[in-house]
Amino acid sequence: MKQARTQLIFVIAVLAVWEYISRSGQVSALLFPSLEKIGESLVKGFTKDDLISYTLYSMGLIARGLGIGILLSFVFSGLSVVSKHFSYIFNFVVSVMDLIPGIALLPLAILWFGIGQTTVIVIVVHGVLWPMSRNILDGFKSIPSIYVESGKNIGLNGLELVTGIYLPASFNSVLSGLRVGWARAWRGLISIEMVFGTTGSGAGIGWYIFMKRTNLDTAGVFASLLVIIFIGLIVEYGIFHIIEIKTVRKWGIIKNGN
Amino acid sequence: MATENILEIKNLNKSYNDSLGTENVISDMNLTVKEGDFLSILGPSGCGKTTLIRCICGFEDYEGDIFVEGEKVTKPGIDRMMVFQSFDQLYPWKTVRGNIEFPLKKQGIKDKAELDRIVKKQLELIGLSGYEDHYPHQLSGGMKQRVAIARGLALKPKIILMDEPFAALDAMTRNKLQRELHKIAEKEHLTVIFITHNIQEAIVLGTRVMLMSNHGEVKIDIENPIPKPVTPDSPGYGELWRKFEDALEN
Ligand SMILES: Nc1ncnc2c1ncn2[C@@H]1O[C@H](COP(=O)(O)OP(=O)(O)OP(=O)(O)O)[C@@H](O)[C@H]1O
Ligand SMILES: [Mg+2]
Repeated sequence: MKQARTQLIFVIAVLAVWEYISRSGQVSALLFPSLEKIGESLVKGFTKDDLISYTLYSMGLIARGLGIGILLSFVFSGLSVVSKHFSYIFNFVVSVMDLIPGIALLPLAILWFGIGQTTVIVIVVHGVLWPMSRNILDGFKSIPSIYVESGKNIGLNGLELVTGIYLPASFNSVLSGLRVGWARAWRGLISIEMVFGTTGSGAGIGWYIFMKRTNLDTAGVFASLLVIIFIGLIVEYGIFHIIEIKTVRKWGIIKNGN
Repeated sequence: MATENILEIKNLNKSYNDSLGTENVISDMNLTVKEGDFLSILGPSGCGKTTLIRCICGFEDYEGDIFVEGEKVTKPGIDRMMVFQSFDQLYPWKTVRGNIEFPLKKQGIKDKAELDRIVKKQLELIGLSGYEDHYPHQLSGGMKQRVAIARGLALKPKIILMDEPFAALDAMTRNKLQRELHKIAEKEHLTVIFITHNIQEAIVLGTRVMLMSNHGEVKIDIENPIPKPVTPDSPGYGELWRKFEDALEN
């Protein structure tokens, strides 16, 4: 509770400073639109500009990309436990691929998959898969050997050992992998949408920002940034935080902190 | 009573690839354990006690033979349950009930009522009825060790291997757990190999007490002559205690 209050005070202070600068007249309203303008733009975005469908379109893409990415990182990380050779290769691939920004892959992806949703989803998967796998693999490495031995003692092997011991024992790392993966994917998606524009079947929030910028509608740009932030907060507190409370906190693996 | 050898170790040799010396940690060790034995093993630090039971448990490669009821040990299995010294051996992501049920489910026991019955019985045995839904982090060290023992017993192993399970407990809790373990071992007719640094503990618990020295050399290996329950006042206790104390000294 204390934490939420401090954070709230901080946000209000930032907004106040913002409003002060905006009203002082020292800075062009184009750079620092007033809160009122941004608010108006936000409302207008949802009522007139169909911001909701841009948002939903982006969410649809990210959901599919995340789903595939998460699934693949579990599968590959699990295989790394079962097979030493696979683990050597996968660790190498993760290190290499994690260095490549999704946006740099975009030209290639367009060549291979065309201009369509597939390309976007491939880039989102790329955004999730490597950082998430890195976190899971590191988590697996630092599991106390006593859990693994105790698991073998009760007759677990291969896949059972992965799901029965490795995953829960390293769940804290899995969770931070999810967080990093989601953030990377979400950022990646929006940058691609700004470059990519519409895919014929629809356009996302990145494209919305891009159009606002082209029209020099700074308040509209800020309004859409707010939407991005809100979605991030909902995912953090509505999903990750709840998972955290129901798992690692309940298990006493992490005790206090935020 | 059947007195066949449940465990037979013949010419056991064990070295670690990454250890500094070239000498074996255990050389040419022979050991047999009969059904119903409670074998206490004493020995100086680093003499290979943990290594020995890790080999029996199937956690380590070894040369020579280890047979459990005539079958060669090649990998871990539920016929040999290990109870470690560490308080962290329970799965923190499972409740007490979950910790006991999980291995049973893996053995194919799916019936809810049957699982309930076993959990209830085990918790009664170790005196922790009512703690089913606690997570390990909500238990004291002594409670955790009891649950670890219960989890092992529930699988009805042929041998229970214990590596200083009470070493990190305070003296009072330790005495209490010793008494409980003794009772359980007699009641359930368990076969136990119990490693300890504590001579009192070895004598109180063991039906047979062994002293190991470096490289797995067996210095003393005797049936415990003192009738149970053993207390420091039991006739012969002092003598036996000194015998092991002297042997440990040099
Ligand atoms: N994983 C390992 N790799 C290399 N050497 C090891 C390993 N484990 C144990 N050793 C060595 O083997 C010897 C015996 O170790 P072990 O743990 O079996 O002794 P112990 O009798 O259980 O000692 P303590 O009473 O201190 O627990 C020691 O010299 C130790 O350094
Ligand atoms: Mg040891």
